[in-house]
Amino acid sequence: MRVLAITRASLTRVARDRTSLFFLLVLPVVVIVIIGATVRGFSTFTVGVESTGTDAAGRALVSALERSPGLKVVPFATTPALTTALARGEVAAGVVVPAHLAAAERSGRPVVVTVYAERVNSVQQAAATAVASVIVGRGALVQAARFASDHSPAGYDAALATARGLDAVLPRVAVRTVRADTVSSTLPEGFSYSAPTELVLFVFLSALAGGATIVETRRLGLYERMLAGPVRARHVVLGEGLTYLVIALVQSVLIVTIGSVAFGVSWGDPLAAGALVVVWSLVGVGAGLLAGTVFRTPEQATSIGPTVGIAFAMLGGCMWPLSIVSTAMRDVGHVTPHAWAVDAWTILLSRHGTIASIAGQLGVLLAFAAALLALSTWRLARRLH
Amino acid sequence: MAGNALLECVGLVRRFGERAAVSDVSFSIAPGEVYGLLGPNGAGKTTTIKMVCGLIDADGGEVRVDGRAVGSDLAVKELIGYVPQDIALYPDLTAEENLRFIGRLYRLSGAELSARVAEVLAVCDLVERARDRVDSFSGGMKRRLNIGAGLLHHPRLLVLDEPTVGVDPQSRHAILEHVAAMGETGMAVLYTTHYMDEAERVCDRVGIIDHGRLIAEGSRRELVERLGERDRIDISATGDLVGFAARCRALPGVDSVATTKESLQIIAGAGREMLPRLLEAGAGVDVSINAIDVTEPDLEAVFLHLTGTALRD
Repeated sequence: MRVLAITRASLTRVARDRTSLFFLLVLPVVVIVIIGATVRGFSTFTVGVESTGTDAAGRALVSALERSPGLKVVPFATTPALTTALARGEVAAGVVVPAHLAAAERSGRPVVVTVYAERVNSVQQAAATAVASVIVGRGALVQAARFASDHSPAGYDAALATARGLDAVLPRVAVRTVRADTVSSTLPEGFSYSAPTELVLFVFLSALAGGATIVETRRLGLYERMLAGPVRARHVVLGEGLTYLVIALVQSVLIVTIGSVAFGVSWGDPLAAGALVVVWSLVGVGAGLLAGTVFRTPEQATSIGPTVGIAFAMLGGCMWPLSIVSTAMRDVGHVTPHAWAVDAWTILLSRHGTIASIAGQLGVLLAFAAALLALSTWRLARRLH
Repeated sequence: MAGNALLECVGLVRRFGERAAVSDVSFSIAPGEVYGLLGPNGAGKTTTIKMVCGLIDADGGEVRVDGRAVGSDLAVKELIGYVPQDIALYPDLTAEENLRFIGRLYRLSGAELSARVAEVLAVCDLVERARDRVDSFSGGMKRRLNIGAGLLHHPRLLVLDEPTVGVDPQSRHAILEHVAAMGETGMAVLYTTHYMDEAERVCDRVGIIDHGRLIAEGSRRELVERLGERDRIDISATGDLVGFAARCRALPGVDSVATTKESLQIIAGAGREMLPRLLEAGAGVDVSINAIDVTEPDLEAVFLHLTGTALRD
């Protein structure tokens, strides 16, 4: 009852503080949206097309480009305008359709469809490849029509129409991309990256900043008042720890729910994800309690705490994947609990891991939590006396 | 006194490093008695009551409440109501929420908790403001609620650590009235203060503490009687007060002289007859005497007599 009384009072204070609520509940969602939108993958390439004055065959090619699911076509009036847009990054590739495409096809002359893309730019090369596959498809139809008109009484136009019709109805060699069960060392892109990493970041960050509440309560003399009554130091530690745990779990559930419902994030095996959320919350509890004993003033806790939290998040792979940093920095990153939590989320989201797959990471995080809780309990009990 | 004492402190010692904050302090308080621990800031009052409340361990001696040692026994702590010197309340909770919180710590719940909260709000004259946040209260209201929180569980021993510091005269008067009334209900009250007039007004007995030692104890009358036929002479003056004090000390019949910023406080026998010699002593130094007041001895005079310094120093 005494433990719950302390938790209840602390939670009431948090619920009454609009600034705390903003940082606990609103800011994480905002950051998830921003980062998710920033690091999302390229599912569609925007392609600039200059087809001024082209004929029916040219229009058919443009139409084929427009129908291609991976391309979004933006028309340009001139080739310089197209190349300028490409240089500015407004389009991923540029296509110039020749003016007399139909005549060239019919005559059997070589036809050049110019595709602009930077060789060393992987995104532009990928867009050019997608464009090339559409042009090659058009070329196959023309070759089939020419072959048919050369070996039958049918004319080229009729043969081309037949080829087009057959293309629409005949079974074709299809390419099916299957998601491989890879051992990716990074989280998926987009919201599947931002949601779990922001959960890791914000639960820890909020706990550190929340240390200000303990510092303030200590300075107000409330702990002294409690301990003058029938309350032991362990009741205070448990009561405040339970407060942090409730806050961390509420924050986690909010991020998981919004990630799933609004942004389609798949959190992997529910049991493993749940265990990871609880263990990470315990790490946050330990960090928050420790902050409450280390800092002397609430201002120190609210200014230094988030700075430490963000630094740990950077080192631990919450801001960018650790796979892109040097081995030495990756090793340094694993001094923080964040790196282990991000590793665990990576296994769950990118490798379809189970609770057994992340047992090692959970073990390390539990060790972090135990060490932080033990240290903070010892310090808080000492501070209270 | 020890026979029916509710609080017994025997030979209390507490050191902070090499410094002895409290040395061999012993006193007891009977049910219904208001006991004042009077001394200047840093005398050891707060350290003593922290040992009484089990907030810090004594390096020596023992504290017993109702015959049981104060320590790890939570049941003993339930007998004590502690009112700290600072306002130990959540500023962002309402008065009622604060009281409910403290009541739950003392395992009060349900109708009993509600009744106690209502009772304390009435005693503190805060019924109208029960649902207002504490940070919207005046200093006096916060002080009253701070005291009320210590009364919530009907303690048998109430420990108040300088409850009137920073309080306006009206609230101070109300607080002192409450403290006096608590003694009348049978509650034992330990009241620390460095205001002599408060100790004189509300305390049945007073212990004078200085430099961690209890140097005298008794009722006001008993303490004043220690001075015998002596008077207190207050001389308001400017100039070389140190030189003036030295000359006064050398006069026969002067027991002690304390200087403040603009006055001398002198304990001497036959004060009125002493005045010409004091004026003569003042004439020998560069000092301008503005006023002289000869009064009957009070607790401050006792303190001056015992320690050689004024209580305010």
